[in-house]
Amino acid sequence: MPTTSSSSSSAASSSGNRQADVFSRLASSDPEVKLKALRYVKNQIIGNRTKKLSFLKLGAVPAIASALSDSDCHNNSSILVQSAAALGSFACGFEAGVQAVLDAGVFPRLLRLLTSSDEKVVDAGARSLRMIFQSNQAPKYDFLQEKNMEFLFSLLNSENENVSGLGASIIAHACGTTVEQQVLCDAGVLEKLVVLLDGSLSQREACLESLATVLKSNPEAVSRFVGLEAGRYLSYVTELTKDRYPRTRLLSCLCLVVIYNTSPSYFLNMGTKSSLVTTLLELLNDPGQSGDEAALGLSSLIAEKEDLQKLAYEANAIKNIVDILKTGSELNPKRLQGLFFSLAELCSKLEDCRCSFLSLEVLDLLVNALRHKNADVRTAACICFRNAARSVKNLSAGRFTADHVMLPLVQLLHDPSSSVQVAVLGALSNIVLDFSSPKSTFIEYGGIKQLIELSKSMDPNARCSSLRALRNLMFLADNKRKELFYSEVKAQGFASLISDPEPSVQEQAVALLRNLVDGCLNSIEFVFDEDGLILDTVGRQLRKAPQAQMAIQGMYVLTNVASGTELHKEAVMQQLFPQPQAESNNFMLKFLQSHESQLRSATVWTIINLISPSSPGALDRHVKLRNEGIIPQLKNMVNDACLDVKIRIRTVLSQSMSFGDN
Amino acid sequence: MSLFRIFINQDDDDMATSKKVITREEWEKKLNAVKLRKEDMNTLVMNFLVTEGYVEAADKFQRESGTKPEIDLATITDRMAVKKAVQNGNVEDAIEKVNDLNPEILDTNPELFFHLQQQRLIELIRQGKTEEALEFAQEELAPRGEENQAFLQELEKTVALLVFEDASNCPVKDLLDISHRLKTASEVNAAILTSQSHEKDPKLPSLLKMLVWAQNQLDEKAVYPHINDLSTGQLQDPSE
Repeated sequence: MPTTSSSSSSAASSSGNRQADVFSRLASSDPEVKLKALRYVKNQIIGNRTKKLSFLKLGAVPAIASALSDSDCHNNSSILVQSAAALGSFACGFEAGVQAVLDAGVFPRLLRLLTSSDEKVVDAGARSLRMIFQSNQAPKYDFLQEKNMEFLFSLLNSENENVSGLGASIIAHACGTTVEQQVLCDAGVLEKLVVLLDGSLSQREACLESLATVLKSNPEAVSRFVGLEAGRYLSYVTELTKDRYPRTRLLSCLCLVVIYNTSPSYFLNMGTKSSLVTTLLELLNDPGQSGDEAALGLSSLIAEKEDLQKLAYEANAIKNIVDILKTGSELNPKRLQGLFFSLAELCSKLEDCRCSFLSLEVLDLLVNALRHKNADVRTAACICFRNAARSVKNLSAGRFTADHVMLPLVQLLHDPSSSVQVAVLGALSNIVLDFSSPKSTFIEYGGIKQLIELSKSMDPNARCSSLRALRNLMFLADNKRKELFYSEVKAQGFASLISDPEPSVQEQAVALLRNLVDGCLNSIEFVFDEDGLILDTVGRQLRKAPQAQMAIQGMYVLTNVASGTELHKEAVMQQLFPQPQAESNNFMLKFLQSHESQLRSATVWTIINLISPSSPGALDRHVKLRNEGIIPQLKNMVNDACLDVKIRIRTVLSQSMSFGDN
Repeated sequence: MSLFRIFINQDDDDMATSKKVITREEWEKKLNAVKLRKEDMNTLVMNFLVTEGYVEAADKFQRESGTKPEIDLATITDRMAVKKAVQNGNVEDAIEKVNDLNPEILDTNPELFFHLQQQRLIELIRQGKTEEALEFAQEELAPRGEENQAFLQELEKTVALLVFEDASNCPVKDLLDISHRLKTASEVNAAILTSQSHEKDPKLPSLLKMLVWAQNQLDEKAVYPHINDLSTGQLQDPSE
């Protein structure tokens, strides 16, 4: 090639000089020079992220902002137009740019441009403001203030499409609470927005976005919208999902998803649901922003709705999504997140989906996503793992326990983001259920230690999830694994987990204990370590009138302990009837009267184990139980509504008979 | 469009196995029975002139027929100036003009922006400015290639033009063809039209396509006078 390295490097440095030189021209007092410099910067950065960044670093934004604010230029509309356009371009899809524009303090100045008599200045100002309002960093707009609402309506009423579009963008950006939705609806915003639906492309897009914001999770607003001209606009938005512009299709779909998720009763028509699913699936193939947003829209549409998941599955959603993930080109994190969320939803309930997903050899894909630099992507991939691992068939085939899958999962337990930690704990909770073999990679990689570490996290979700994982890990575990776990956590540690301030954490801790003491006599011994500290703690929690779920797990701990030796049974009696008894009413009586059949059942199980006739002390314990009113209570329950409880009670009563009780 | 629907429906009742023969007289009678509003035809013509950018013709047509154009005719002049600049190889000029028209177009349309930059590179290569072309490719286009796999491949293809001393031997010589400029020009044209909420294609050609399609459908059921020459619209007897 007819070039040399020296010449190309000199060329590069000359462009660097050009960039530096432009700053003196931006500051020039000659308006012609200034204008040319502004145009130069604008034309350099439009469409070009790299240039935006490099000009930003050189401090171009404050320089342009001062050109815009310079009072000498207030009558020079060309300078106003060019500087506003340049600032708008910095803010277009570029968060650092938005930040810089806002930091330059130029926002009020841009707002003032809207009152200019020159239409071109108004256009430029409105466009730039709209760019800013597409970012989360845009200043909060308080609709509750009357003058703000007036200003908003003056924008929406404007003949200028950029200005009315800006009004809609402000709503889309700033309306967050139900109160704000209410205020906007009361002020007649819905009626205004549906008029803009008929306007230009950009108005229509801004309008669909703001409709979605105003309607989101607000059934009253939705019914108001649907009521406008007898549902005409709902049909219109539905029509727009077939528009020829992909962006319009997407935004109308997202609007419908919001309406559907808020008030599903407006979507009785199966055809509408199914076309919504297929349109979103088609939009996934759009390489741009629309495709990114379609992915999240799809996941939100099918979230926790089995019928829609089925529709999506039948529309070949899994294959579509996996194909996109396999294209190899770098996908936007937002899109990856949406795609993994969609897959996770698809795999959440339907076993067919899980099998078809896993048959596409996707594990490597998921493993790569676990290492993605964006925490939201890692979280979504973990959730996808969790739901796919609900497939018992695939789980027991050992698909998830291979080293190259397990290692990154265990590593994520150290992730700096707590949402990733919670998500990976969810995945591991499901996967550890398969650790039938005593030697497992998870344990070798230090998984148990890390789970115990996380059970002390500041984040209650992380504590809860790590205990759930441990609970599953101890399910039918052999003694060696239990020893390994117990040696790490010790009696003190366990007792403090059971006394956690969060009831949900307590429940998981006690459920974990239930699995730990299940099985052979050795397992039961754990609760007697350090003078029975753990058992005492469980007893104390049970006496504190806990929530039913926690009480169920606690009673099963006692049931398991009471299945042991004479000594174990007596220790349980100690917890049930401590000396001196504080309250007159025993907690067992309350449990037996609970509405929760599982709690009644767990309590009866404890009694069965306590008075099992093979043990020598059974008769004495039976006498105690009878004197405390437990046996009489059971006699009242012989026709319990729950079959399981009924059968267990009959077992107790027949034992009771053998002790001569009638 | 209702015109064509009538043609087909009328023949649906006839389920005879042999094709129905319709004489020219009968056919013309049927055609004359179809009422078309003059204003609709004018709108169709105006739509064509505006979309294709015939601003002077549109202006005259507006004065003569009283048909209102769908968009401000001044914007057509701007759009045509952009199109022309690309067609003449002044891509940088075209980019500046688009940015003056509406800075959002290239800021939100990475593919179009890349294609314009690519066309700029092609023009530099055409003019034999090798060093400048390389610098431009490196500074302006390479970062886009990093962002997008498809752009990278396009860029590699374009840079390949530099390797061949005689471009006519180059496997990607099509890029240097004038038709490539036209392709880029029409892409910009379409994007500007879209930004003005205007259809990017005129309605008339698709109506003509529909006419041909409808005749083909009808051929299976009937023998009738055809419109074969779309420029005159003359009916031709099947035997002719």
